Amino acid sequence: MKHLSRIEFVDLVESSAALPVDRLRHLESCEQCRGQAETLRAMRSMASADDTPEPSPLFWIHFSARVAEQLRGEPAPARAPRWSAVPLATWAAAAMAIVLLVGMALVRTTIHVPSPHGRTAASAAADLGSAEPVDDLDSDEAWAVVRAAAADLGWEDAHDAGISAHPGDVENVALQLDSAERRELARLLDEDLKRNGA
Amino acid sequence: MTVTRNRTESAPPESSPLADAADDRTLVDACLGGRREAFDVIVERHQRQVYQLCYRFAGNHEDASDLAQDAFIRAYRGLHSFKGQAAFSTWLYRIAVNVCLNRVGARAQKWTTLDAADQPDLREERADARLLRGERAAAVRAAVARLPKKQRAALILRIYHELPHDQIAEIVGTSVGAVKANFFHALANLKKLLNTT
Repeated sequence: MKHLSRIEFVDLVESSAALPVDRLRHLESCEQCRGQAETLRAMRSMASADDTPEPSPLFWIHFSARVAEQLRGEPAPARAPRWSAVPLATWAAAAMAIVLLVGMALVRTTIHVPSPHGRTAASAAADLGSAEPVDDLDSDEAWAVVRAAAADLGWEDAHDAGISAHPGDVENVALQLDSAERRELARLLDEDLKRNGA
Repeated sequence: MTVTRNRTESAPPESSPLADAADDRTLVDACLGGRREAFDVIVERHQRQVYQLCYRFAGNHEDASDLAQDAFIRAYRGLHSFKGQAAFSTWLYRIAVNVCLNRVGARAQKWTTLDAADQPDLREERADARLLRGERAAAVRAAVARLPKKQRAALILRIYHELPHDQIAEIVGTSVGAVKANFFHALANLKKLLNTT
């Protein structure tokens, strides 16, 4: 049977009850493991026997006074910037991106959208057929605009604000857009970013 | 002066009304809200644990005092980053351990006692037994000081502060398994070091 692991040795030294019965049985039959356990116990006991010296009561008074004195020259600690302190423009851009992505995905899956320029179903179908599928979002310029809009938005901040999604949701939605839709999304985001000065 | 093994939070006299009922989180909030005196209460409440931790790393009173002071200054400066996910003492320990590991490092330590009167009251202990005890303690301290950083931190926090392994893991920023492995190696190396000294 295998010798005890380092973690099992620590569990044994601290409390033999922490080891399963089969490991304790191994210990009974293994001189090497028993010897190691004894050494560890002895070292633990020897180290524990050394108490930490206690300075005089006066020391504590002086110590806290010294710390207070040094802190007097320090600026007061400030609260960390919370999600509400993130510039409004960033929130607006991020929210816009999410709304647009989700909205476009919903439209695609629930409603048949008429062609924006009065194109026929046949020409739209032809366009759809020629649309290049994008697998590599990193190299897609339109997607880069979306990423830039959300770059300053921390995950925890978004979660605090009630905006949460499952990992990969946005990528999945973006993958469903064709090139014309991605261009339109990029244009809208671009306009919004310029308008908000982000 | 007496030698005590203080394993509970120190409770020095706290005159501020803040100290009466406030828990650490409330004190932190009060401090961040502009009440600087709340940090004085924090210092008074935790100074003994922080000092003792630093003493174990530094090996002498002067350095331990400086390290403990530095730890509190850093805690004050970084108070806004305390999120309350871990206990405040865990967060403070983390700062103190980092200060100690960075500052003490491989520097040779001078292990000293505070003064003769600081020794434990061992009047009933025989002189030779006392001598042996003192020599053994000095040898153990010197051996602990020669342990690699992570092993030293695991051993000090486990043995001298009696922290559970999971809290040590939070403090040193590693897994419970890694803490136990470091503790194992610390004890095993202690044996080797004591055999060679």
